[in-house]
Amino acid sequence: MSLSEYIASRWDLLTQAALEHALVVAISLVIATIIGVGVGMLTYRSPRWAAFAIGTSGGFLTIPSFALLGLLIPFLGLGWGPSVVALVLYSLLPIVRNTVVGLKGVDPAIVEAGRGVGMSAAGVMTRVQLPLAWPVILTGIRVSTQMIIGIAAIAAYVAGPGLGNQIFDGLSRLGSVNALNSALAGTLGVVILAILFDLFYVVIRRLTTARGLRV
Amino acid sequence: MSGETRTASAPPSTISSPGATAAEPGGRRRPALRYLGTPLALAAVLLVLYLWVSGQTLDSIEQRTMNWEYIHTRVLEHLQLTAVATLLVVIIAIPAGILLSRPGARLLSPVVLGLANLGQATPAIGLLALLTIQFGIGFKIALVGLIAYAVLPVLRNTIIGIQQVDPALIEAARGMGMTRGQVLRRVEIKLAVPVILAGLRTALVMAVGVATLATFVNAGGLGDIIVNGIKLQRTPVLVTGGVLTAVIAFLVDWLGGVTENALRPRGI
Amino acid sequence: MFDTTSGGARIELDGLTKRYPGQAEPAVDGVTLDIPAGELVVFVGPSGCGKTTTMKMINRLIEPTSGTIRIGGTDVLAMRPDELRRHIGYVIQQIGLFPHLTIAENVGLVPGLLKWSKDKIARRVDELLELVGLDPASYRGRYPRQLSGGQQQRIGVARALAADPPVMLMDEPFGATDPITRERLQNEFLRLQRELRKTIIFVTHDFEEAIKLGDRIAVLRESSRIAQYDTPARILAAPADDYVAGFIGSDATLKRLALIPVSVLSPSTSTSTSTTDGLPQIAGSATLRQALDAMVAHGRQEIAVDGRVVTFAEICATVTGEQAGVAGERPVSGVR
Repeated sequence: MSLSEYIASRWDLLTQAALEHALVVAISLVIATIIGVGVGMLTYRSPRWAAFAIGTSGGFLTIPSFALLGLLIPFLGLGWGPSVVALVLYSLLPIVRNTVVGLKGVDPAIVEAGRGVGMSAAGVMTRVQLPLAWPVILTGIRVSTQMIIGIAAIAAYVAGPGLGNQIFDGLSRLGSVNALNSALAGTLGVVILAILFDLFYVVIRRLTTARGLRV
Repeated sequence: MSGETRTASAPPSTISSPGATAAEPGGRRRPALRYLGTPLALAAVLLVLYLWVSGQTLDSIEQRTMNWEYIHTRVLEHLQLTAVATLLVVIIAIPAGILLSRPGARLLSPVVLGLANLGQATPAIGLLALLTIQFGIGFKIALVGLIAYAVLPVLRNTIIGIQQVDPALIEAARGMGMTRGQVLRRVEIKLAVPVILAGLRTALVMAVGVATLATFVNAGGLGDIIVNGIKLQRTPVLVTGGVLTAVIAFLVDWLGGVTENALRPRGI
Repeated sequence: MFDTTSGGARIELDGLTKRYPGQAEPAVDGVTLDIPAGELVVFVGPSGCGKTTTMKMINRLIEPTSGTIRIGGTDVLAMRPDELRRHIGYVIQQIGLFPHLTIAENVGLVPGLLKWSKDKIARRVDELLELVGLDPASYRGRYPRQLSGGQQQRIGVARALAADPPVMLMDEPFGATDPITRERLQNEFLRLQRELRKTIIFVTHDFEEAIKLGDRIAVLRESSRIAQYDTPARILAAPADDYVAGFIGSDATLKRLALIPVSVLSPSTSTSTSTTDGLPQIAGSATLRQALDAMVAHGRQEIAVDGRVVTFAEICATVTGEQAGVAGERPVSGVR
């Protein structure tokens, strides 16, 4: 069976796996963005706390993904739970760091001007600082995405969802006809997904960047 | 890709692509306490792990994994894979990066970096699976997979590190009568050292991470213990494997940091 | 290496031209210039006029399209570029000290390339640090980052002087420093040059700096065409055309006065017999411009210089009476 025949015969299964893969990545990113941007907003003013937040989220990244997934099983069992938690932890560093850097990079004069026209601190944050820092933050989210799409493949081993299952299927059927097709379909699927996500970010970037920053 | 994209700690700069995050020269001088802090903390973690495991009564299945000899062998395999892969990465990536940084390769280097970035989107486990299915199992196959992953940060940081050298310094060096070779050896490479070292540290941590997947190509390593723990549903085994792997990753990262500081040319 | 006199070597440029492919106008168009040994010639012109390109062709960081360059009679284009550059001092605006090398290593770099012995290099480094006014004992082991901008540029000059080259090329060397530091660096540099008498080509877009430092000034227009090549005093007194006049600005006379020391007014020419009592005092080393400044500031027509009186009329006479002559002409022995 050729790869194309393999893909055709298992189209439903593969698209289902790809959708689940995309879903687990997307869920993890939403959670990580909420946490990461929040931590960044809370700490960016204090170099010490910002360094602590960045150091801690960097620490998660040092832990090998397979080890982290394994360590989460005793607490979260198998399946989506450990997958999402691990992916969130891995996503944090780029988001936290870029939030801190992005917010720090906003010209203090602009913030002062915002306060000067009578905006509250929260108003300045949501209407001035975050929109100005957003392109940098979005870059962080994009980097996280690229990282965790690959890591999500490993999560299949702890019964997580997604294309990783195809890869592990291939490994477990070493020597059989479809081993290569299965592993190839899974691997290429992940690469294609990564490219699609990247294109998605190009669009998002255009849509969500304040118009004044684009001209 | 297994996500062990290491980032240098201070000072914050934006992250714009995976694996490029360590391309930061300089950085603060760490106090001596910081040097000792990490190994002390890791030692404490290991001690807690030991005490906890000692307090458990292990059944015969668990004992098959939880004995010194088995663990010792797996740790050695893991370190061996990491060390050999990193060594080969140094031998391959630094000279290649230097060549690609030359003005003659101005058109080639973005192409190589683009391809490498695309390759980075390939999941490590997928690559290892494909290699195994095509070429069989074992240490060498795992090594190829590790190298394929760890080459990128060193290659990229070598190219970037050399290209980012202030053009004024190169002009000054040329203006003083240094030959192109002398400029490369005495100025460009020297000034790129911190960036190259940061890339190497990233590569080391990546290698430790990908080496946990070596178990799937029968090349041993600490992944064996984790797999045993998951398959046998034995928490002590799982925790031991996971914690040991994490400790080794932190230790290697710490060693990388210490080396980085030691080898960084003074004055930078 | 080159034939030298009094520490410097003559530089002759003949028909020096640089064309870049795809550009209609040459970047440098047929520059012919004779620079006497030991003189400091300033290339001054607007940015993009090709003055830096012209200078960089002399040490062949940019290869000329056509024309010849001779230094001390030697055809530069026949030499190996690296070898040539080791015998030409080079100072740039960004200074370009190597951050990973100590001050001593930076200064000793060219002698090292020329295979001097370690001892000789060490002695030379100390000598040069003394020369630029930095204590060798406390500075030789430091790194560039530990120095202020002004100190770094002093080291930049010391580094260029290290192998005692007869020729120095300086590309806006003081351009990036604050006005106070720049003034101090300029003064120190003039003092140094009086002693060393190197042949120096100095590029700047600052006409004031050109007047202050140059033995001669080459005012350049686009494509490095020479609008006027003369001493500062003669350029100020008789600008060749409107372009040069525009460069000088509307205060040419004041600029000229700044070039003339009050000491040119010999006591015998002093017509006033009044005493110096109660007059504003200025030092004997001051210029006529400073004398005038003091007069205006105090609302007086006379001031005291070293115990004698200088009048407003005398200053005017110096300018008008010697329009085409030597007023402000700097004697070669140079009182500046």
